[in-house]
Amino acid sequence: MNRRRIRHSRAIQPQALQHPIMALHAEIQAHRGARRSFTCALAGLAIAVTSWFNPVSAQERRLDTAFGPVAVKTAERVVTLDEGALDTALAVGMKPVGSVAVRGGKDLPTYLQDAGKGVKIVGTTREPNLEAILAQRPDVILASPGLEKRVYDILSKIAPTVVPSVATTAPWQDRNALYVAALGKEAEYQKRVEEVEARIEALRARAQAGQTFTIVRWMPQGPMAMSSQLMAGRILTALGLQSTDIAAELGDRPHSDILSLENLGKVDADWLLIATLNEQGQATLDAARKQPAFTRLKAAQSDHAVTVDGQVWSSATGVLAANRVVDDIERLILK
Amino acid sequence: MPRHTKRMPLRRTAIACAALVGILMFASMLWGAGSLTVLQSLQALLGRGSEEAIFIVHELRGPRTVLAVLVGLALGASGTIMQSATRNPLAEPGLLGVSAGASFAVVLAIYFGADSVGLHFSIAILGSLAGCFLVLMTTQLRGAGADPVRLVLAGAAFSSILIAVTTLILLHDQRTADEIRFWVIGALGGRPTSNLVWAAPGILGGLVLVAITTPALAALSLGEKVALGLGHRPAFTRLLAMTGVAILVGTATAAAGPIAFAGLIVPYFARRLVGPDVRRALPIAMVLGPSVVLLSDILSRLAVRPYELPIGVVTACIGAPVLIAVVRSHRLPRL
Repeated sequence: MNRRRIRHSRAIQPQALQHPIMALHAEIQAHRGARRSFTCALAGLAIAVTSWFNPVSAQERRLDTAFGPVAVKTAERVVTLDEGALDTALAVGMKPVGSVAVRGGKDLPTYLQDAGKGVKIVGTTREPNLEAILAQRPDVILASPGLEKRVYDILSKIAPTVVPSVATTAPWQDRNALYVAALGKEAEYQKRVEEVEARIEALRARAQAGQTFTIVRWMPQGPMAMSSQLMAGRILTALGLQSTDIAAELGDRPHSDILSLENLGKVDADWLLIATLNEQGQATLDAARKQPAFTRLKAAQSDHAVTVDGQVWSSATGVLAANRVVDDIERLILK
Repeated sequence: MPRHTKRMPLRRTAIACAALVGILMFASMLWGAGSLTVLQSLQALLGRGSEEAIFIVHELRGPRTVLAVLVGLALGASGTIMQSATRNPLAEPGLLGVSAGASFAVVLAIYFGADSVGLHFSIAILGSLAGCFLVLMTTQLRGAGADPVRLVLAGAAFSSILIAVTTLILLHDQRTADEIRFWVIGALGGRPTSNLVWAAPGILGGLVLVAITTPALAALSLGEKVALGLGHRPAFTRLLAMTGVAILVGTATAAAGPIAFAGLIVPYFARRLVGPDVRRALPIAMVLGPSVVLLSDILSRLAVRPYELPIGVVTACIGAPVLIAVVRSHRLPRL
């Protein structure tokens, strides 16, 4: 306990010494089931705001988050509670000390498992494990847009918590900008983005402009079209391909409802990219091939219906994922 | 046994309901979530029009119409028999552990590695039979098999346990959750045509089984002792009837997923039309069942074009008010 407290005080502001870690533990316990009161939130914010009078504050970064201004001083021990934040941190050369498991899994997203080796799992996006996060003694927490206020209130007492307010369908380059600012790695990030954009630019000549595409998730009742405003759709569009109307006209929604099999024509395109959320991509495709409605699609008939990793193609936003998408496009479409 | 005030002649009612089924089957071929107009559908039905239209009407709407009729038959008949055998107007196939047993068996099978869609139906039937017999055994344990309330309570408790375990598995393993989602939501579209091949004999067999128990069930409704005095064997009758119900519901659930409330509302309307005698109510339920399922399916296609609602949502919208009406009616009809 004693040792932990000393180390803790090094990571967090001096005031935290008067705020015993046990109390925070107790609060986390109390938080289970109970809704945090607004006064507690204010108190937490007050601690966070009043405590930044250190001489080091020259390097302090002030961020405009979904929960108001947040000051971040150091970003060495980072906890990411968002896949895009994890991708971004790894991309700019910072390995977080903790991150959340991929939606529906127990581990990091498959495509980040090598780069993120050694990153501790601290819960899931929906339910971050507060005690595990506290045990990592982070100096900044990067959380998903749409984080619940009551969870934010607790998290912001553990460390400054950065919650961007961006739409799922915002340009992928911008979506993680606030995380980058929190890490203070704008230059590195910009470089990595430009690398991806240069790759896309270089591939433009090989792509057949005007070819149509839809990214779908395939269910036996019918497909769900993924919005072309998501990262993979934007990259394909940047290459000169053209989204089908149904995926382009979803507005803020990340995907459509399940389309009736009678309306498969609406997703049919020169390229049909089937995002699977498990490793059974081939099985999904095989199951679809048994459906007469699927085999009638021109994409299926020209063998242009291909499966892609849904962790990368349907929900990811970072530059590492963007590179994966470009890899897949090179391998599958521009071969 | 209270007499119903407005009893309609059986034959005329049956003919009217059968005509309704015919009309709805026809309508089911003409209306869909696609862009075909009614006129185009009509032409396609007669084998004219574009190849696309003929495909939609013959290959997509045809099989799901037949499936709707089969599932409606099964749910209508099993609901009536169940309510009669348990002498409880609120008894529903979902209550007997049948649906929960079927879902649980399929989830378990997928969890242990099964992934082909074709595997599910036999497992579902086995699961529903197992669920049903476990419930029946529970009620026999204390020699109180004659008590219908106990049966329903045991079924509800057992279903809850199974649903809890099923949910536990789904939370634990996302792959299962992804594959099961289609299966635990009732839907008629997108089911492989091969479903019809095994569902038809299963449902016909179940119907024969429940049909031969109706005279004994009718005697049972006069009371256990009267039935014994008339030379029936109540325990055996109930066992036979419940086996039939398990086969019917298991097959229907395996073919189209669980469709809530159909088994509750159909017998209710059937009794309203021809009175509580199971020998009269069963044939009416067998023509009303397909009507309810067909109507729900048509509505599910038209409600959110170009997408489709799960049919369970529609039957729940129709069924929930009926359930409340039954409960609220000042005196529950005794069976």
